[in-house]
Amino acid sequence: MSTDTASFRIGVDIGGTFTDVVMLDPGTGRLANEKVLTTPDDPAEGVLNGVARILEAHSATPEAVQTIIHGTTLVANALIERKGVRTALVTTKGFRDVLEIGRELRYSIYDLFIDMPVPLVPRDLRFEIDERMTAGGQVLRAPEADSVRGLAADLRAAAVEAVAIVFLHSFRNDANERLVKEILAEELPDMTICTSFEVMPQIGEYERTSTAVANAFVQPIFRGYVQRLVQELGRRGLPDDLYLMLADGGTVRHETAVQYPIRLVQSGPAGGAQAASVFGRLAAEQNLLCFDMGGTTAKACLIHDGEPLKTDSFEVARVFRFAKGSGLPLQVPVIDMIEIGAGGGSIAQVDKLGLVQVGPESASSKPGPACYGLGGGRPTVTDADLVLGYLDAASFLGGDMALDKQAAEATIRRDLAEPLGLSVVDAAWGIYETVNESMAQAATIHALESGRKVQDFVLIAIGGAGPVHATNLARRMGVRRVICPLGAGVASAFGFLASPTSFEFVRAAIEPLAELDPGRIETMVAELEREGLGLVKSAGVSPETAVTSVSVLMRYSGQGYQVEVAVPREVLTAGDKDEIGRLFDARYRALFGRTERMAAEIMSWRVVVAGPKPVLEPQAALREGTALTGERPVFFGETGGFVDTPVYDRYRVRPGERIHGPAVFEERESTIIVPPDAAAEADPHGNLIIDLET
Amino acid sequence: MNQLSPVKVGVVWERLNGLMDQVAETCVRTSFSAVVRENYDFAIGLLDARGRQIAQSRRSVPSFIGTMSRTLTAMLEKFPVDTLKPGDVLITNDGWLGTGHLNDITMIKPLFRDGRHLGYVGSIFHTVDIGGAPSPSAKDSYEEGLNIPVAKIVSEGVENRLLIDFIEANLREPEETLGDIRSQFAAYHRCSERLLRLLDEEELDDLEAFSDDVLDRSEASLRRAIEAIPDGVYADGLIADGFEHPLEIRCSLTVRGSEIVVDYAGTAEQIERPVNSPMTFTKAYSCYAIKCALDPGTPINDGTFRPIRVTAPEGSLVNPRRPAPVWGRHLSGHYMPPAIYGALSKVAPDKVIADCGSPLWNVYFKGRREGTGRPFVKMFFMNGGHGARPNQDGPGCLSFPSNVSNQAIEQFENQAPLLVEEKALVPDTGGAGRFRGGNAQRLTFRNVAQTPVVVTIRHERVDNPPRGLLGGEPGSGGLDLVNGKPIPSKSQTQIQPDDAVTFQTPGGGGMGPPGERDPAAIRSDLTSGLVTPEHAKLHYGYDV
Repeated sequence: MSTDTASFRIGVDIGGTFTDVVMLDPGTGRLANEKVLTTPDDPAEGVLNGVARILEAHSATPEAVQTIIHGTTLVANALIERKGVRTALVTTKGFRDVLEIGRELRYSIYDLFIDMPVPLVPRDLRFEIDERMTAGGQVLRAPEADSVRGLAADLRAAAVEAVAIVFLHSFRNDANERLVKEILAEELPDMTICTSFEVMPQIGEYERTSTAVANAFVQPIFRGYVQRLVQELGRRGLPDDLYLMLADGGTVRHETAVQYPIRLVQSGPAGGAQAASVFGRLAAEQNLLCFDMGGTTAKACLIHDGEPLKTDSFEVARVFRFAKGSGLPLQVPVIDMIEIGAGGGSIAQVDKLGLVQVGPESASSKPGPACYGLGGGRPTVTDADLVLGYLDAASFLGGDMALDKQAAEATIRRDLAEPLGLSVVDAAWGIYETVNESMAQAATIHALESGRKVQDFVLIAIGGAGPVHATNLARRMGVRRVICPLGAGVASAFGFLASPTSFEFVRAAIEPLAELDPGRIETMVAELEREGLGLVKSAGVSPETAVTSVSVLMRYSGQGYQVEVAVPREVLTAGDKDEIGRLFDARYRALFGRTERMAAEIMSWRVVVAGPKPVLEPQAALREGTALTGERPVFFGETGGFVDTPVYDRYRVRPGERIHGPAVFEERESTIIVPPDAAAEADPHGNLIIDLET
Repeated sequence: MNQLSPVKVGVVWERLNGLMDQVAETCVRTSFSAVVRENYDFAIGLLDARGRQIAQSRRSVPSFIGTMSRTLTAMLEKFPVDTLKPGDVLITNDGWLGTGHLNDITMIKPLFRDGRHLGYVGSIFHTVDIGGAPSPSAKDSYEEGLNIPVAKIVSEGVENRLLIDFIEANLREPEETLGDIRSQFAAYHRCSERLLRLLDEEELDDLEAFSDDVLDRSEASLRRAIEAIPDGVYADGLIADGFEHPLEIRCSLTVRGSEIVVDYAGTAEQIERPVNSPMTFTKAYSCYAIKCALDPGTPINDGTFRPIRVTAPEGSLVNPRRPAPVWGRHLSGHYMPPAIYGALSKVAPDKVIADCGSPLWNVYFKGRREGTGRPFVKMFFMNGGHGARPNQDGPGCLSFPSNVSNQAIEQFENQAPLLVEEKALVPDTGGAGRFRGGNAQRLTFRNVAQTPVVVTIRHERVDNPPRGLLGGEPGSGGLDLVNGKPIPSKSQTQIQPDDAVTFQTPGGGGMGPPGERDPAAIRSDLTSGLVTPEHAKLHYGYDV
């Protein structure tokens, strides 16, 4: 791999343990990847190491690199570990406790000892200003300049590094937030200042405050990191117009990203979803359930018509078992993803009812499953996978890590088989079935929440444990096809390369549909479009290829839930309110199977300006030799026992060859299980496609 | 009976609970009732052929715990099981047979498989409009709305026209209530289809073997927890503010082996005010309190309640005779958990919490909108401070024993001509203790309309604040003010344009002697301002 013109595209994903680097040569479609250790004290070092390593391995020069796209857990980790800067909040008089009071709801109904998430800004750093906006957006009281200057002195005395400004109804009229920001910026030139109308102008004072505060809390750290990285890249002759992956599956230039670090909160998983949509497209599948099972958790998201489904809120740093409501709410555009505490390291035990319980407690990677032999004394999902023959003690991680099957059996016997009166194998099967069932339930409900049926989707499995569980999970959900892509272990970094440059704007506009002034919306959309085009243009996208899509969040008057409706530009231009009403009814019917008689109302508008989605045609680099490497006994529920099962080297399977189950396909980071009554076939891109006869 | 493997039981149970959650999700999202949507005032449940409840949607409010099988028993007295046909749906909203007040409608549909009776699917949902004129002055339940006796609302797939016309004629907004009723029919249909498929896939002929197994497991789990409590009789009592007179609530727990009897003998008699808690509601909150303290973390079903017996004198506040008014049944029913925890604290102090700032506070605003002049009625919820726990402070403003969230002020101000001037934690309101009670909140609403607004409140814990436990001090009592002057805590007050009404919810009780509080915790409270230096000096002897 070497070339004279700058054309290589590099994706870098910083994970907890490894930093993954993927390099694509768009000319040949060849993909290369590297894993280097993450350097937690200075993550930039890992990035630079990884990039240097991949260039060296493929004899490429820094000048040959056209783009670097980067995703990181830095923002999420800073929030989870509370390692942001000392941050203050300036808010409307009478409302400084909104951030602490939250929604007053218990997320776990039987738990008397419930922990609520602690606000990022303590009470003594929450300041009030005598100002007020009405619900209609009229200024009832403007802040007095003198008192704002007095506040600046307080902020200086409090030695904060960042401040969030959040006033009631600022999403309707930002005048007061703007005024206070101007004065504070004058008085405190070095202070990081985030206003809620800039971060996310959405209704709901608690969620908006939480979002603006989180953005301020992480911004100085994130900015410092990005600046240093850009500098270092430049110093090494690499492109310094770094791109960052956002949680909604778009990428932006680093100058934009540092304004809204909170939008990066799920950037790694967003890359995984984008990668899944590429793998799916290559396999001619547009509707996919992306299932990513790692060591601690499993994540799932839906891809519909080739695009990951998005939502407008996310909860970070959940304090209790991934429970909804136990984290810090963020109003940010994100790929709509669920996460449950079910991974390879999830611990299995007999619960108080005498039944098998798996997770959410996890042995993680340290001490890890019992079979790792690193001191983990409790049975996990990985231990069950080993006992059932899904994993092989000798070939785990390409043979780099020998697994201790006896240790797995011993812990399963002690903690499950003996208390339940089952054989070790039946107990292991119980772990496998139980964890798959809870994932199936979670994914099924997730699909229903977006008004879709999980059976209409094809499952695509990534993450180390994903392919091991995918076929059984698919059967449970009534899904008939499973795709296991090549390179699932670096899917996120690959997904960054597949993501378009894009930016989403949200504007609140609460009004009945009947009173909508389409001309005003058209003007607002045109303004946002101009701003968005500026952003994507600065990222090298030619404006002719950029696409602006508009959608509106609506509900029937009095309802509490909103439905997102895509509005074609011509409908907006024509000012066709009736058509907007019809589109809403149609979307509502698709979601809930009926329409209501009440009047429709509009909550907010969403405008996304996006460059073209990069077209990727990765080519599988197959190895020589026969794929069949041997045979081992593998347990299948369908046969109720162990079956001598052929084992294949995944990297040697020729496209078009159809292999009937039972079969096992081994790759470096995972193992694919094909049950009896199923058949697998590789496509030219390296996807292994499994059809289940259901 | 076939013995099922524990793995099978676990998987089927997960699937059934998941099925309930799936159906609940769709119903809640499309419900007309804001209380259902925002507070999950809704439950869907599955009962076996013998009418025993096996599974229930997991996010429901506690008021519905265990009520469905009791309601079904009453329904079957009128419509014996052998007369039920596929496509039938039974209904009632009777407070004594259902969940304690007319606003909750319970409907249950028998399920069949190949002509054989399999079990039941049922649901309970809160409807805002049930006719009548519920008010704090209601003297009996007839004033509180339409009582739908146990009836067949659908008979072999055909709606009972007469019954539906009758309901429609008695409601102000019948489209919404009937819309919600009809959406349940569709939900039952979806639920039963999926249930039958599930049974096929799991190769189960019926629900009985599974049901026997899970009910026994749930029962055994709670029994083991009760056995850990020493046998004995543990009693406690507290005083509710009441209307004209305070009302005493007495509670005794008799623990014997693996069983608990909760008895409310000595509790005040029922009154002609809408605060009576029918037995069904009393039982739900009693069982809930015990489940939380002794056996949290396992799903609820009829087996859970076998080791618990709840008794109360007939004609008392917590077991009223018809036609006692019951609209605000929570004003007594929410006292069951603190009464039980007071008694239990004498023998299991590490399992209970101090009194919370509840019964739940709410307020109704009624008036006319600016401009259009259209009438509006808006309800607003406010939670008090949470009671201290044996090992941590109580959080400020957390809902208990109900689970009702607040509404965003930005949403509220869009819907009513009221300007909220503050929503703030109030210093010094959490009861002092080794662990401090949660702080109360204060809200002030100013009438910015040109016309008067009627403010209706029924607030408890004003005269009798939430108690501390085990040496902890009480939280502060609640306050209701108009333009800074106190108004009665159960009243209807007209406020004029520019008048302001203020509510301060009660603070949570403390736990353990204040002298044992960690000085670092006191300093942290002083820094945050949740406790003032004067309070620290007075209650903790702490000099700044």
